[in-house]
Amino acid sequence: MTSVPIHAEVSRREPAGTVARELARRLQSAEPLNATLHWSQSALDAEAARIATLDPASPLYAMPLALKDNLVTTEEPTTCGSRILEGYVSPFTGTAVGRLRDAGALVACKANMDEFAMGSSTEHSAYGRVKHPLDPDRVPGGSSGGSAALVAAGVVPAALGSETGGSVRQPASFCGVVGVKPSYGRVSRYGLVAFGSSLDCISVFGRTVDDAARVLSVMSGLDPLDATTVDRPAMAVPSPLRDLRGLTVGLPTEYFPADLHPGVRAGLDRTIAAARELGAEIREVSLPYSRYAVPTYYIIAPAEAAANLARYDGVRYGPRRVGSEGDIRSLYRATRGAGFGAEVRRRILVGTYVLSAGYYDAYYRKAQAVRALIAQDFQRALGPGGVDLLLTPTTPTPAFKAGEKTEDPVAMYLADIFVCAISLAGLPAMSLPVGRDQGLPIGAQIIAPEFEEGRMLAAAGALERVLGAAEEVR
Amino acid sequence: MSIGREQVLHVATLAEIGVDEADLPRLVEQLNRIVSYVEQLDQVSDAPAEPFLAGPAATLLREDVVAPARLSRAPAELAPEFRDGFFLVPRHGAMDEG
Repeated sequence: MTSVPIHAEVSRREPAGTVARELARRLQSAEPLNATLHWSQSALDAEAARIATLDPASPLYAMPLALKDNLVTTEEPTTCGSRILEGYVSPFTGTAVGRLRDAGALVACKANMDEFAMGSSTEHSAYGRVKHPLDPDRVPGGSSGGSAALVAAGVVPAALGSETGGSVRQPASFCGVVGVKPSYGRVSRYGLVAFGSSLDCISVFGRTVDDAARVLSVMSGLDPLDATTVDRPAMAVPSPLRDLRGLTVGLPTEYFPADLHPGVRAGLDRTIAAARELGAEIREVSLPYSRYAVPTYYIIAPAEAAANLARYDGVRYGPRRVGSEGDIRSLYRATRGAGFGAEVRRRILVGTYVLSAGYYDAYYRKAQAVRALIAQDFQRALGPGGVDLLLTPTTPTPAFKAGEKTEDPVAMYLADIFVCAISLAGLPAMSLPVGRDQGLPIGAQIIAPEFEEGRMLAAAGALERVLGAAEEVR
Repeated sequence: MSIGREQVLHVATLAEIGVDEADLPRLVEQLNRIVSYVEQLDQVSDAPAEPFLAGPAATLLREDVVAPARLSRAPAELAPEFRDGFFLVPRHGAMDEG
């Protein structure tokens, strides 16, 4: 497999047809990763023909882009990695993907994912697990593991994923690429298959900070089709800072536990030293309620999922199974029982349980209160008199082995221990590759105040340059 | 709080999800593991100053105008069974009574 990415600047000079042919070769050679769910030469040719009609000065002209398979398009199936949507082709294309295509992006493929974005390893896809590009026995992280693997393997320079509780930052860290989650409301969710609607964010992977920033810039902004988008101008692509003078970077003590993996700790130590050398002031801060982020998330997200996934019932679209009793409820149960995989069934059942009569206050209402406390911690740390950015590890360990956590759902959930809280607080955050431990990538997480993606990406650009992270992934 | 087999079946009924008898013991064990894990929130006694909601402070609603949906495929192409503008489903059992 080639290690040379089709970078946007290269794409801009090449006819789109040449890019599409090279892309097909790369997609073919990446097949052993099982990172794609749908791609075809004819679809790539159609994309190339479409791009040939656009202005070559378009911001993402002929830039190949993989889409997580929970982003609907009218050209390819959208299965969300689930049997319950097998063969489903959406009757509309989502806002973010539409904006990216209008800006010249070339849709390369739909990427494999944990079913309905529920998972941290991309082992919960109905279409088989995704392999880590550097070690096929390991997982790429999840749930956007297919998108992360395709960027890490040099198939595409950028890809879309989605985050509900860290599903882009965590696989970005495992695969050694950049992964950026915007503020909640920055990017329209119209056309993103809903999982946890108060948390879901379309997010982006890039081989470099700049690639990710350019994609995010194009897809951001108000959308009348999503009432939770905020009325702000689209995010401008920031220039990387020359240094970090004048910036204060906070290190939350709760995110650096004594038993942190030594390789992760070394990567973070290197990043902190680089930030200091660039002139940043480093200060310890505390986010005491973050320790409750994972249990809070695993009440709120399943509760929202139980409601959102009620629509998959075999009536309006998707495959149908007729139950043994032949009536409508038997149809629902047979269709949903057979169509959803084990992790999705588990989460729907947990979500239904925490919302059911007699348990709502004890679980759901409690989790909403703790979510507010978690968010207040961040508002204090990043508010007036606080720090400008926060720096933490993205994950507690490098990529783990396939099968290591599939039997214990809680062990799998804890892979998201450093990313969940930020999703609950609705803040922008990203994972930046900061080196390797025994060959496996390590990611540092940078967190910014709401709608300060520009500050975060500009600082990340400076760190990327100093740490040579961008060079390492090439 | 421990969740028993009957409670799991009740929740599965609420969620309209068929559960195989063979899968039930493992499902009961895993749901107990998850629920006992999230119960650590009981340790938090503080109440937040105000509720938290990410996103815009006020929901922007677009004008309520009746217009055709711009879909590239009609429901008839998507649905398992569709006729005369209706999605077809088997009878609801309750309709057979009385």
